[in-house]
Amino acid sequence: MPHHLDLYLKRESTLHRLDPRAKMLAVAGFIVAVLLAPMHPTWPMGALLVLLICAAALARIPVRLMCRRVLSLAVVIGMPFLLSRLGGEATRAAGEQFAARSLLVAAVFLVLMASTRAIVLLEVAERPPLISVFGQLGEFILRGVDLLVEEVMRTNRAWALRAPTATVRVRLAGLTQASMSLISRAAARSERIGAAMVLRGFQGKLPTATPTPLPWSHMAAGVAFALASLCVAGLGRWR
Amino acid sequence: MVRGASDRDVLSRARELALAGLLGALGLLLPIGFHALGWGGQVFLPMHLPVVVAGFLVSPATAVSLGIVVPFLSSALTGMPPLAPPVAPLMALELTAKAGAASVLYRTLRLPMWVALPAAVVADWAVLALAVSLAAGFFAIKASPFQYAWAAILIGLPGTILQLVAVPAAVLATERRVPRLRPRKRHGTG
Repeated sequence: MPHHLDLYLKRESTLHRLDPRAKMLAVAGFIVAVLLAPMHPTWPMGALLVLLICAAALARIPVRLMCRRVLSLAVVIGMPFLLSRLGGEATRAAGEQFAARSLLVAAVFLVLMASTRAIVLLEVAERPPLISVFGQLGEFILRGVDLLVEEVMRTNRAWALRAPTATVRVRLAGLTQASMSLISRAAARSERIGAAMVLRGFQGKLPTATPTPLPWSHMAAGVAFALASLCVAGLGRWR
Repeated sequence: MVRGASDRDVLSRARELALAGLLGALGLLLPIGFHALGWGGQVFLPMHLPVVVAGFLVSPATAVSLGIVVPFLSSALTGMPPLAPPVAPLMALELTAKAGAASVLYRTLRLPMWVALPAAVVADWAVLALAVSLAAGFFAIKASPFQYAWAAILIGLPGTILQLVAVPAAVLATERRVPRLRPRKRHGTG
C-alpha cells in the first residue's frame, strides 16, 4: 500500500525488476565509494555522478522529476553550503565537500526509493535476526505517518468546512493546536492499535515474508555496480 | 476474562510497538514541517522531540531502537539528515543516548522527570563529543572534535530549551490521557 512519504515511481524498467537486496548492496557500495572518493581531483566525483545518472536512466526516472526531488533538498544541503561561502578557505572546502557528498548520497537514495517501495526495503531489513526489530519498527513508523498525515488533513478539512471564512492565521493556529496534541492522541490511539494487533493474532513478533533465493544475475548486477563505484573511488585516491 | 502474564506481555509489546511507530512517524514529519516553515532543523532539533518523549513512555530497548531507526529512515525517505557526511549516524547515536538514558532513568530507575530529562540531554552531549572524537580521524574532520561538539551544542541550544519545556508537558499530558503509561512508583516512596 503506498504511503504519504513514498517516492516510488511505477515504471517497467530493469532497475524496478532488480531484486531489492541487490539494489541495497549496490547502494551500500556507492555510499562507501562517495565517502572514500577525494574531492581533488574532481573526476572521481564526476564519474560517480555519471554512474548515478546511468542508474536513474535505467530506472526510467524523468529528468524533471529527479531535478525537482533533488531541488527539494535545497534547504538542507544548500543553506550550509551557502553559509560556508562566507568563511575562510578551509570552511569553503568543507562546505563543498558536504554539498557534493550529501547530494550524491541523497540522489542515490532517490533512485533507490523511486524504483522500490519503502515497505519492500523494510521487509528485507526484517529478515536478518539482529536488525529485524529495526525493520519492524520502520514499518510501524510508515503506517504511523499515514495515520498522522490523514489526521492533520482531516483537521484542516474540518476547519475549512466549519469556519470557511476564518483567516489563514486562525486556521494555522487551529492546525498548530491540533498538531501539538498529536502526541497524547497518538498514545491513546496506540492502545487501540495494540489491542487490535493482539486480536488479529500478534504473538510478540510481526510475521515476515518467506525468504526467496537471490537470483545470481541480480546479485551480480548489484555487486558490479558496487565494485564499479569502489574502483572509481580507489583509483581517485591512488592517483 | 483474566488474561495470563504472557498475554499481558504480548499486549504490552503490541501497544509499545504501535506507540513507538506513531512517535517515530512524528519524528519524521516534524522536521519536514520545520524545514517547510524555514526554521533550521539544527537549531530547533525537531526530530529529537518525539524520540525523547518516546524515551519517557516506552521501554529502554524500544527507545534505543527508535533512536537508531528514525534518523536513518528519515535520511532514506527525505534526504535529511545527510547520510554522508555522517550526520545521520551521529544523530542516531545522539538520539539513542538521549532516549535510552531518559527511559532507563525515568522508567527503570524511577527518577523524577526533572532529573531524568537534563541527565538525558547531558548524556546526548557526552555521546556526541565521544562519537565525533572517534569519527574525526576516519572521516577526516579537520576541526577539533570538542570544537565540533561545542558548536553543535551551541547551535542546538534553542532546540534543547524547547525540549526542556515541551517534553515534560507532552509526557504529562500523555500520562494523564493514558494512565497505564505512568511508571509505577517504587515500593515505599509513595
